[in-house]
Amino acid sequence: MSDIQTTLRTRAAELLSSGEVVEVIGWTAGRFDNQTTPAFITKAEDAESLVFNEYCVNTTSKFSLMERGLGKVAVCVRGCDSRGINRMITDNQLKREEVHLIGIPCTGMKDRKTGEELLKCRECSYRNPVVYDELIGESVTEPELNRFDAVEKLEAMDQAERAAFFDSVYERCIRCYACREVCPVCTCKSCFVDQLAAGWQGKRSNVAENKFYGLTRVFHVGDRCVECGECQRACPMDLPLMLLNRKMIKDLDLLFEAGEAGLDAEGTNPLGTYDVNDVEEFM
Amino acid sequence: MSVVNDSQAVGTKDGTGEFEPTILAFACHWCTYSGADLAGLNRMNYPANVRLLRVPCSGRVNPQYVISAFNKGCDGVLVCGCHPGDCHYVSGNYFAKRRLMAFKRLLEYSGMEPGRFQVRWISGSEAGKFRDTVIQVCADIKNLGPLQDREADALASISVADLQKGAEAAGASASSESAVAQAATANGNAEKAGE
Ligand code: SF4
Ligand code: SF4
Repeated sequence: MSDIQTTLRTRAAELLSSGEVVEVIGWTAGRFDNQTTPAFITKAEDAESLVFNEYCVNTTSKFSLMERGLGKVAVCVRGCDSRGINRMITDNQLKREEVHLIGIPCTGMKDRKTGEELLKCRECSYRNPVVYDELIGESVTEPELNRFDAVEKLEAMDQAERAAFFDSVYERCIRCYACREVCPVCTCKSCFVDQLAAGWQGKRSNVAENKFYGLTRVFHVGDRCVECGECQRACPMDLPLMLLNRKMIKDLDLLFEAGEAGLDAEGTNPLGTYDVNDVEEFM
Repeated sequence: MSVVNDSQAVGTKDGTGEFEPTILAFACHWCTYSGADLAGLNRMNYPANVRLLRVPCSGRVNPQYVISAFNKGCDGVLVCGCHPGDCHYVSGNYFAKRRLMAFKRLLEYSGMEPGRFQVRWISGSEAGKFRDTVIQVCADIKNLGPLQDREADALASISVADLQKGAEAAGASASSESAVAQAATANGNAEKAGE
């Protein structure tokens, strides 16, 4: 990892001093050893402050949207970040030529509080970036796993049990919208939860209205979710948001062969298209 | 705005008498609403539990309206539109079909009983199908009982951590220690939820 960090610093300095990019988005040291924070480096001499270690928990993809218009920006991307970038290109939020992608194969990040590998990394099957302009470090082998395991267990439970489970989940949500802020596919300029005049949309924090927000969020992102797991990591109340995202992803794949989002810049659009031969269950 | 208006309420939810559900039916202007009109012209009888809400197209029914209807006191929601291929706007119901298929699954996964939310294609000439659908949906919801009666504070018998263990076991890098750490968080969560 320290090799990656050294190369990253050198490349960032080169890219900035040659004028190829105006900014490098990566990570820098945080207040504690086991913590990093997103970094936005604009001067070659500051490239030394870039950090890459097992505590680079933030995905970088969404940050590239904030920096649009400055000029070409270099973004450090692992598998999750690169899929987010791809999906933002599919969604017309970003142009490929606006970013220079520094690919970094990832071996999993750690939770600062427990020192264990993050859940989003344990459930990840794209550790290598799927798109990049240059690659730093050796490719890693992708783990074999069934990412729908937990969803299948929930599906197998009876309805009352599931209702109780999700009620106890939504009881905890504090409507901070961190899950929305970090998501690379949550890119609406005006989000329904901010439309204060629309009184019919529940704004209170109780189980029913939290569920109204939560299910709407899943429905709005489910057909494009790149499974970066950042929403779940960012949630201060530990809501198991991937259990909902993956349910949508699983169903859309079974019903409409939606596949996985963010693997290329073309992407699929399962809920924005239709086929006259779609299965019929409402007759 | 509450969907359940006392002066309109056809039944009681307080245990006196038989449970009369409140059902919101979205009906597309071009097909189902005409079908309902035809049912009326033919003096067909169907339960008065259903409130018809006319929309331009079934594709106009935002799934948020459905959740909102449940939150505002409806015991069941029905969405009706033209048969696939007959949409006045050519493709609105095809989009609706995909969306509502995914949404129905998501809703049921999150704990809603199957049957509380239903979708049907009913054309302008199908007055009989409209009547039969309303009768059947109404019977389904009567069987399910009032939505609000569900014990909202019932504690989940399964924790988030229990569910995530499987994925972890399948993952190459999982350690048994992390399972212990997960179990500890699970207990913490259960306590939190129980407070
Ligand atoms: S919904 Fe969550 S996992 Fe999916 S793309 Fe957004 S942040 Fe990533
Ligand atoms: S981040 Fe968590 S607590 Fe905040 S709004 Fe999203 S689900 Fe709720």
